[in-house]
Amino acid sequence: MLDPEERWRLIDKLARETVEYGADRSTIGSVLAELTVKPLTGIPFALAVLYGFWGFFDAFAGFFTDGFFVPLFDDHWLPWIQNAFPLKGSWLYYILVGDPEAVNSFEALGMLTSGVFVAIGVVLPAIVAFYLIITILEDSGYMPRLAVLVDTVLHKIGLHGFAVVPMILSLGCNVPGVASTRTLETKKQRFMMMILLSVFIPCGAQLGVMLSLIPEFFGYIMIYLLAGFFVFGWILNRLIPGRSPEIITDVPPLRIPTFKNVSRKLWVKVKGFFTNAIPFVLLGVGLVNLLYLGGVISWLANSLEPLFTGWFGIPKETVAPLIAGFLRKDLAVAQLSAIDMSGFQLITSVVIISIYFPCIATFSMIIKEGRNSGGVIKVLGGSLLTLITVVFLWGGLLHLIGILLGVA
Amino acid sequence: MTILLMGHPNVGKSAVFNRLTGANITESNYPGTTVDFTEGYAFIEGEEYKIIDVPGTFSTEPKDEAEKVALDILAEHDDPIVIVVIDSTKVERGLYLAFEVMERGYRVLIDLNMWDDAEKHDLEIDVCQLEKILGVPVVPTVAISGKGISTLVENVPSASRTDIGELREKITNL
Repeated sequence: MLDPEERWRLIDKLARETVEYGADRSTIGSVLAELTVKPLTGIPFALAVLYGFWGFFDAFAGFFTDGFFVPLFDDHWLPWIQNAFPLKGSWLYYILVGDPEAVNSFEALGMLTSGVFVAIGVVLPAIVAFYLIITILEDSGYMPRLAVLVDTVLHKIGLHGFAVVPMILSLGCNVPGVASTRTLETKKQRFMMMILLSVFIPCGAQLGVMLSLIPEFFGYIMIYLLAGFFVFGWILNRLIPGRSPEIITDVPPLRIPTFKNVSRKLWVKVKGFFTNAIPFVLLGVGLVNLLYLGGVISWLANSLEPLFTGWFGIPKETVAPLIAGFLRKDLAVAQLSAIDMSGFQLITSVVIISIYFPCIATFSMIIKEGRNSGGVIKVLGGSLLTLITVVFLWGGLLHLIGILLGVA
Repeated sequence: MTILLMGHPNVGKSAVFNRLTGANITESNYPGTTVDFTEGYAFIEGEEYKIIDVPGTFSTEPKDEAEKVALDILAEHDDPIVIVVIDSTKVERGLYLAFEVMERGYRVLIDLNMWDDAEKHDLEIDVCQLEKILGVPVVPTVAISGKGISTLVENVPSASRTDIGELREKITNL
């Protein structure tokens, strides 16, 4: 083996003989590429990009969900299946169809009504819109530029700019988000990031349901969750031993995403949604209905009532969506619609659903990745401890804020 | 027979992999897209090769979990062919990794990817001379459009080992 110095010397000489550099011309692309990383121009550009993409997400998902799927399900599918399905009043009817009197598909709570509606009508358009955006962010080469811009901010919580990549991927789905923490250098950073992502970053499916169900509260919820990300990031950074090294990264040239690659990635995600996500949504609806019939839900609701109403200030019935949330967060948020509560309680409930526990898919990914970053027991123990603390503090604080504002 | 695709982050290894195997793994324009390895198969001149898309790595000294995965794969396989994928606009640093792999005695084939970018920058690389000096095949490609991939495939069987002592002498005498 050569030593590095000699290796570089040889390569230098070899390159001088075989490579000839031309004059570097600046093009519109390279000028734009330069402007996107300079803070003075880059930050307004980043805000414009994020706002533009957000507008697209909102418009796209809104168009398909409100414009097409809501009328389709509420006016046609729901009334039809409520009448056509036999055995009204039986437990099977309850599990599959749900409430025979329901007039909207969110509130019917059957597998074939709410389950199919949430999966296809609400989450599918959101997933398509979101992955289209994420793919364009990925393929254009904009992600590392965003990383450069937010580097200073993320250093305050012991991370560095590149942590923005797992954050953005988690906005699509927490599972690849957690996997992508592998590019972080130290165990401390990976551990922190896995926790913060799985607790505070809602996934695209959940965002889709939130947007459709409670667009008026959307901003508040996101701000409260992001604030939690930074507050607990700051605390974890001080508590967890380990280093947070600086990074040096390449910023690739901006490229125009190719239609082929974008459509291919989108197809892979949509296929994954049909095979991995939809079964879980349906399973979640079925499971909660079974637990209702078995009396488990009302028993849990009654025993947890002091905690729910006393500490968090939310109705005890919220326990059912929280159970569904183990399987799918999107479903959990959707199930809140059937519970009678105030606006502030709704905000609190959505926050609690987001932070109380990662969905099962994310949880298994944390276990899998934990093996490579300090051992499963340590990572899992640490995660659970952090999780419980976060839920009580951050959930309780929101209740307190509500009391102080006089709305809770 | 196993082929490993190795190279720095964001040089297009996954794009080459998709071209070689017809797979659909994620390609993106940022370093660190691939954090785990993916396997696929390709028939080359009547022989079946297992092809592995290895996470990007700067050198054979790992600095994060994804690079550790990369080096474990290199160590795990018995005498694989290593296609070192290089960003044509950043030849020197790509060669650094290629040297490290050649020094370890692996059979190497060099893929100068993103050749179109090099052309855009008026960068001229003397592929023939590079090939002659290094003693391994060097193939320019544009993986996202598929250009040069068939030449790359044709050259897989001629991937070869380089005697580092001889290489040192050849370069010093240039």
